[in-house]
Amino acid sequence: MDRRVFLKSAALAGFSIATLPATWLRANADGSKVLRMAYGAEVLTLDPIKTTYGADILIQGMMYARLLHANADRTEVGPGLAESWDIADDGKTYTFHLREAKFSDGSPITAEDVAFSWNRMRFQKDSAYAAPFQPLTKIEAKDAKTVVMTLDRKFTPFLTLTEIWNTGIVPKAAVEKMGDDAFAKAPVTSGPFKFVELKPGDRVVLARNEHYYREGEPKIDGVEFRYVPDDNTRVSMLQAGELDVCLGVPAPRMAELKAAGFRADPEASSTTYDMLINHSAEPFNDLKFRQAVSYGIDRAAINAAVTLGLGAPASSIMSPALDYFDKSLPVIARDVEKAKALLAESGKTGASFELIQNAGSADEEKAAVLIQAQLAEVGITVNIAKIDSTQAWTRLADGEYQAEMNWWYNETRDPDNALRWCVWGAGDNKSYYTRYNNETVNKLIDEASGEADNAKRAELYAQIQKTVVDEVAQVALYHPTWLNAYAPNVKGLILNVGLQFSSIGGTSLD
Amino acid sequence: MNRFSFVLRRPIQLIPVLLGISVITFLLLQMTPGDPVRLMLGPKASQEAIEFVRARYGLDQPVPVQYFYYVMNCLRGDFGQSIAFRGPVSGVIVARIAPTVFLILYGLVISLLLTFALAVTAARQRGRWIDHLIRLLCVAGVGVPSYFVGLLLIMGFCLRLKIFPVSGYGPTFANNLWHLFLPALTIGIGVTPILARNLRATFIQQMDKDYAVACRSRGLPESYIFSRHVFWNSLLPTVNLLGVVVAFLIGGTVVVENVFNIPGLGNLLIRGVLTHDQFVVQAVALLLAVGVVISNFAVDILTAILDPRVKL
Repeated sequence: MDRRVFLKSAALAGFSIATLPATWLRANADGSKVLRMAYGAEVLTLDPIKTTYGADILIQGMMYARLLHANADRTEVGPGLAESWDIADDGKTYTFHLREAKFSDGSPITAEDVAFSWNRMRFQKDSAYAAPFQPLTKIEAKDAKTVVMTLDRKFTPFLTLTEIWNTGIVPKAAVEKMGDDAFAKAPVTSGPFKFVELKPGDRVVLARNEHYYREGEPKIDGVEFRYVPDDNTRVSMLQAGELDVCLGVPAPRMAELKAAGFRADPEASSTTYDMLINHSAEPFNDLKFRQAVSYGIDRAAINAAVTLGLGAPASSIMSPALDYFDKSLPVIARDVEKAKALLAESGKTGASFELIQNAGSADEEKAAVLIQAQLAEVGITVNIAKIDSTQAWTRLADGEYQAEMNWWYNETRDPDNALRWCVWGAGDNKSYYTRYNNETVNKLIDEASGEADNAKRAELYAQIQKTVVDEVAQVALYHPTWLNAYAPNVKGLILNVGLQFSSIGGTSLD
Repeated sequence: MNRFSFVLRRPIQLIPVLLGISVITFLLLQMTPGDPVRLMLGPKASQEAIEFVRARYGLDQPVPVQYFYYVMNCLRGDFGQSIAFRGPVSGVIVARIAPTVFLILYGLVISLLLTFALAVTAARQRGRWIDHLIRLLCVAGVGVPSYFVGLLLIMGFCLRLKIFPVSGYGPTFANNLWHLFLPALTIGIGVTPILARNLRATFIQQMDKDYAVACRSRGLPESYIFSRHVFWNSLLPTVNLLGVVVAFLIGGTVVVENVFNIPGLGNLLIRGVLTHDQFVVQAVALLLAVGVVISNFAVDILTAILDPRVKL
């Protein structure tokens, strides 16, 4: 064969292999019913106590069973690994009775494992999210199937906390044998799916846990959770049939996906987008100035621009998806004259502040630019600083900021956790680093958490919401919805308000 | 100097290069404000947990002490711990090196095939419409950013024609040829115009040289003169340019990996920079530098093989 013939053949062969019809290779790739989903953030650890990161929370919710479980849309919690539970009359002792259940390696789930998991989450030094469990002082296994938890005060939200991702039950023997780091990379699980593979930067693969305690669940063979950082690439993959679920669809593409036959309806979320303000620094240490800013902002316009109407302008700092959300609070309408008057009263006419915005977020950029333009009309100059999220978090925590675009969501429907996170000045995070601290609000939050009567709790939470809106603890802007799209053959899967696929066990792929 | 000592000398030259890069990346990352541990544990992590993890990774030590330990550990083959992945950097990198190397080599093969096809056609058809068209395409190709080319290819070949997948990296060689064809083509479209214009110019220059004129005067056919003499004499400048282009390719994969979601080093680097994952960024920077030095080294050797007059 001479050189020319060889080169021609090689080029032809290369091209032929590269352009083999997609269907041929796909048919060979996978015949099983594996739910393929993609998210814009990466799974970093599979140890439930070591993270508060969205991607980890999503995947861990499918891997670990908790004592109680929310129903699909998270309106209430019901039996999980605990078949039943008793609460002592003083409201401080909770006794959980476990059902017969097994880990993915076939070993039984005992009270010892539950106590180990909870003690680890509550007391281990590098446990990332022990904060909501502060009233919990003691966890012990009474016998093989009974766990007793003791609180230092009456704490009504406690039952709802027993279904947060980081209370996922892990096997004591496996964690002790493997060590934390090795376990986090190849864990033994207690939930509907068992671990198969973690490819850093690419995907986590889960398969059906044959030992899962709920009969007939899960209905699918497994889950492939892929990390696809680019929003448009994720959408393209869904359109091309490479995904069954696309999490985090950009708002402008929802209608297009719906028209193409995908299930693309906004799902309720516990998220609030807001402008965090530093109460311990100029100019936001002044109530009149804060109010001037609040009246100068058009929340409806920001909601329309960012969520394209798929969210709602904020009236409260609490999301409407949370229990005890006060429906009677009106969205503060923009009133430039009133804002100007308040600004004059504050004596800060011509004031300016720096608004930090995460450099990678198009949504934050839109909102920040609108705020800048709207407040310019009031007479307040806003200087937008785009910085990366690592730096932003550090400046926030250190109090070296004036205002910052941010957001937060709540893991449960109970508002205690949310309010303790964002306006309870006595907390470790100083009211989400805003340094807002109102003794009355702190007391009301404590009182509401110890109250068992629903009507009274609702009253207390309404009072709290009104106070923090009046005092502009944060400038709540809008409540977005989860924007996900599902292929038509995905049946029964919804993302609940707390970023969990609680219905994944009953989800099917037709 | 003979080739043997040249081959020995090159790795020694690499030492100051790597040391310089390590100092610069280390200092740059130290100067960038922000606490990686806070980002990694998430916004809701307690201060106590953050301090505990910082101490575990030695991030509470003074900068010179951190650098000293870093260099000493590197000499032992330990490139540090990734804060994000909570494990050795070497493991994180090994998992991602294959897709990137595959993509670069694949991109290079496609670029070379396109380059030769276009340059030979243009030079042989000099002044005709096809020559003008190729030159026009080359000018346009240089100006179009690779993420735009990538998105166009996705729209055309993945969503409309459904011939190729949008993303990923497969388990087998054949599967990867298929998965990475569009990303490699994107890279190819990025560098081909530079190489093709250069090669076409060299072809034309060589076709006007005395030896070609002499061949013609002896009545040899044009195709024979081109394939036996002009072609081989023209390769040298393009091979030299290739050295520069490979360095460009290594940088270019960062964008292409992101558009096509390939779990490679480019993706890792972006992530590492955004999250201040210090040891990951340092290790990837060192690795990319080694890649560039090795490609230049290969070009030097290739040049010497192609042209006996070149002394190493």
